[in-house]
Amino acid sequence: MRAETLKGHLDGMLLAALEAEPRHGYAIIEALRAGSGGQFDLPTGTVYPALHRLERAGLIEATWSVHGGRRRRLYQLTPDGQRALVAERRTWRDFSAAVTALLQAPTPARSPP
Amino acid sequence: MSRPDRHQVGRRLDQLRNSMIVGRSLTSEGEQCSLDHAQPGAAAGMRQRDRLQPGGGPAVETYLAEIASRLPGPARSRAEIVAELRSGLLDAADAHRSAGLPPARAVQAAISEFGGPGEVADGFRAEIAARQARRLSASLVAGGPLVGLLWLAAALASHLGLHLAPPWHWPDLPPLLGVGLRLVTVAIAAAAWAALLGIAATGRLTRWLPARPRHGPTVAVIAGFGAAGADLVLLSLVAGLLAVAPGTLAPLPIALAAAASLARLTLATRAARQCLATRATLTAT
Repeated sequence: MRAETLKGHLDGMLLAALEAEPRHGYAIIEALRAGSGGQFDLPTGTVYPALHRLERAGLIEATWSVHGGRRRRLYQLTPDGQRALVAERRTWRDFSAAVTALLQAPTPARSPP
Repeated sequence: MSRPDRHQVGRRLDQLRNSMIVGRSLTSEGEQCSLDHAQPGAAAGMRQRDRLQPGGGPAVETYLAEIASRLPGPARSRAEIVAELRSGLLDAADAHRSAGLPPARAVQAAISEFGGPGEVADGFRAEIAARQARRLSASLVAGGPLVGLLWLAAALASHLGLHLAPPWHWPDLPPLLGVGLRLVTVAIAAAAWAALLGIAATGRLTRWLPARPRHGPTVAVIAGFGAAGADLVLLSLVAGLLAVAPGTLAPLPIALAAAASLARLTLATRAARQCLATRATLTAT
């Protein structure tokens, strides 16, 4: 998947990765990678400033935690973030349905089965 | 949290305070403790040379130092960013270790996935700029009414013939004072609007506003210098009146208002210059 395509939807994907449980940066990246079947190939370092931006927008909140001797920033969705995720999903569904309809190769004329 | 844990955290916080931004690994000791005590089997099962170095080793230090050197703002907030990135890098390196890569290769792989230091720093610079702009705008909006009330009280207590009315209804003031006060009114109005815009462009409204990374800092700088300019004029007017007609001013209220303006002048100028400096490092978008 092209980096620019990914970047446009990064916010929604980050929110989705936090929907099930609070996660720290690397776990979020892993969730994106696993969830996209390995298609997610943004430079992972750019995920961190994006998380800080979502935090400033009030969609997620972060706490420091020490786990396994490593200091990590743990992120979780806020109620606002939850709502934003729902909205993001709806927008994406409408958009992708429209693009799918438009991009579909015309089916050759043939008699109905 | 158990007692030793709390000590560990306290010690690590001290290290954070004392260490330079990336000069030393913040996690080294804690890492050692947890490997030796919490997971004795894992520690014993892995040969010493196969283990990741606790802070990630020189490659990680170099990489993080390169990012840190491109970040503006106070050392403390840079250290926080670096600490978060370090744990992310080490987590990634751990995953590569588990997949079978030797430690040095695992660290290299984690770093190359992370992206160039310039690219990572760019993202954080926009973020730091927005936070600085937000802080400046919010403190101006929060402190402005207090400064304004103090000046209003000072003006009413002084024998200037001022009363609660818009500037164009003011009685015959000495011309310079009249001009000065109108200038202050304009500067404060501009600063107030800019500060409100600064808050809007850097907070929750960002999702609906087509704000670019530079917009927040721009309006915050206007707000900061606008407020500072108003304070400068007010203080000059007081100095002038003290020289020409000292008897007209009520000493205590004027002193209080002047102190408030002097404080805002200093703080707003410093913060606005900081914002301006950070704004200048943003890639033009």
